[in-house]
Amino acid sequence: MVPTAMVFKAKLWTQLATIFKRTIRKGTPFKQTVVAAVLFMGLAAWCCERAVHEVSALAGQADTARQSSQESSESWRTEFDNICAKTEDAMTFSQEELTDLIRRCDSLQPQIEKLDESRKKVYLERLRKCRGLYAYVLDAKKKDKK
Amino acid sequence: MNRKIFTALLLVLVFCGLALSQTGVKKKRPLPYEYGRVIINNYSERTDIAPVVFEHWIHRSMFTCRVCHVDIGFAMKAGGTDIKAADNAHGYYCGACHNGKMVAEGKTVFAACSRRANMDDEKRCVRCHSYGQKVASDFDFFQFSQPLPKERFGNGLDWEKSEELGLIKPATSLPGVSGARNSLAVQKDFALNAKVEGMPDIIFSHKKHTVWNGCELCHPDIFIGVKRGTVKYSMVDISQGKSCGACHTTVAFPLTDCQRCHSKPVQP
Repeated sequence: MVPTAMVFKAKLWTQLATIFKRTIRKGTPFKQTVVAAVLFMGLAAWCCERAVHEVSALAGQADTARQSSQESSESWRTEFDNICAKTEDAMTFSQEELTDLIRRCDSLQPQIEKLDESRKKVYLERLRKCRGLYAYVLDAKKKDKK
Repeated sequence: MNRKIFTALLLVLVFCGLALSQTGVKKKRPLPYEYGRVIINNYSERTDIAPVVFEHWIHRSMFTCRVCHVDIGFAMKAGGTDIKAADNAHGYYCGACHNGKMVAEGKTVFAACSRRANMDDEKRCVRCHSYGQKVASDFDFFQFSQPLPKERFGNGLDWEKSEELGLIKPATSLPGVSGARNSLAVQKDFALNAKVEGMPDIIFSHKKHTVWNGCELCHPDIFIGVKRGTVKYSMVDISQGKSCGACHTTVAFPLTDCQRCHSKPVQP
């Protein structure tokens, strides 16, 4: 059983083709020009719409793929994970270790500032928090030593 | 006679207005399902869309505070994060979970803020951009709260006990967002002296707090003092959202529940 929508579409195209043929054979030059122009514009619009849809779909896929591969392979992300995964152990680090972690945070910051707006916002805040904790613990240890 | 009544009424209104403007309007105590509600309106009204209504109660049942406020990067104050639709569409902030792929409570989490929206997306947009609008939620507070142990204030729920009993299992990390972490070596509980004589001292439990927050959520942004006793905390400051008040006026049990903190037995 052929779907109703398909039957309707087939009929519509057949009628349009009939009108087109009649106009081309028997219509005045003006009518022929109008029909030809309308058909041409319709075809052009359809092609443009398809092209835009394809390009944006490809761009979206590329964007997602690029983002995930970038984040996983970029050295800044590896360094960030290495530094900020240690916050649970902050109290067990020596002053030298904490100073080194803070230095690494400071070195990482310019790399994060070069990222796109969304990632820059997120990771700068995360870096600020983990650097802040290490500085806080270092301060506590220095005061305890005194 | 009518003129006198009118004048009297007018004077009453004027004095009431003056009184209210001096002392302010007493804040209405939020209802259990309203407690922890955050209205996010950095850019919504500017773009002619309703502000976002964020309900803490459903989210805190699934994730610890740390996942959102450290790993994802949400600020501790409403509007402090500066979230844009583009951030969500790129998979950050709300988009870290609301991406149309993540599954929570057996349901696929709807995607927030797609890059291109059409008329069909309106139903999805209003799920968050619902301030001042009647929008049905997927989660009903009363159904959700029924099996959970009750408390007097805030959401009316004992979140701590709910977790102990395994009735809620908030995740401590988000794949792809949270880094791998070691388990935390817990600090001991300690007492803080109450200023008012006769008021029980405060027993502060690091263990209870670090289960939800980790270290960097509180230190140093909320608690800057490194040596115990160097910073003096006052209830006035706390009620204004400083130190403990950062959470205990907004999402965690409120300050009206005195004995939850002032719990050290008073010696005769």
